[in-house]
Amino acid sequence: MSVVTTAAPAAHTAHAAHGNAHHADHGEDYGVALRNNRMGLWLFFLSEAFLFGGLLATRFYLWGPYRPEVDQTVGLIVTVVLLISSFSMNLAETGMEHGDRRMFNIGLIVTFILGLVFLFGVIIFEWGLFPALYEGHLTPWGDNQPLNAEGLTLPFGAVVFAMTGMHALHVISGLVFIAIVWNMGRKGHFSPEQHWGVESCAIYWHYVDLVWIFFYPALYLIGEVVGHR
Amino acid sequence: MNSKRSAAYRTSTTVALVLAVLTGIEYFVAISFPSTVILLLLGLFKAVAVVNYFMHISRLWRSEGGH
Repeated sequence: MSVVTTAAPAAHTAHAAHGNAHHADHGEDYGVALRNNRMGLWLFFLSEAFLFGGLLATRFYLWGPYRPEVDQTVGLIVTVVLLISSFSMNLAETGMEHGDRRMFNIGLIVTFILGLVFLFGVIIFEWGLFPALYEGHLTPWGDNQPLNAEGLTLPFGAVVFAMTGMHALHVISGLVFIAIVWNMGRKGHFSPEQHWGVESCAIYWHYVDLVWIFFYPALYLIGEVVGHR
Repeated sequence: MNSKRSAAYRTSTTVALVLAVLTGIEYFVAISFPSTVILLLLGLFKAVAVVNYFMHISRLWRSEGGH
């Protein structure tokens, strides 16, 4: 009996020690994986920077010191919407980091809604795909492109649609990412200690905002306005 | 824990307000005295704030979370 009573705590201690070692190993593995994941995500952003940088270079090469007449109010509103969505996404991530699941849920839902508002803002107002709602100024191609001061037709529509289209594609993938993370969070998949899914989703969304920080002045603010024909 | 959380939310709010002010200045510059250099510099300031505070670039070499 005494053997059992003395052996049992020893076995328990050994098991606990093994458990702690296993836990520590697991924590260490997660730490290494986290560092690698972060590096991988930033390398992905670097590759994306070439894509968006190329589009920015295209804008300055083809348009030079001009820009088409676009609706400034629409540009400012969609920019502010995206900015607020970055804020709500940061609140969601911070909420998860500190175990505040309510803030995590609210932040993600608000970000998703604002992302949709941005997307519809682009589709309806920038692209003018629904003329019944809003008469768009530009088309991606055609003979109705504005002329610059020298009377030359510049590819305004093509550049605007390429830049906003590529950005909108990233907004859509960000929205899918947010929906997946929200669903996983709802099922209890993340914790304050381990939430790479939330962190990567937030960083990706901020990257989408980061791209727009440069696209907004390039499309709406920089250059002399060229009127319509 | 709660004070840390409140501090984190405060930082988020401050950064968002700074970004909003910079966007307002950007718009004001564009409509009053358009300058490509100033607009690009303002964009750069905003980008640095987003990369540093929202995208946590400082965590890139770390193997733990941000708290």
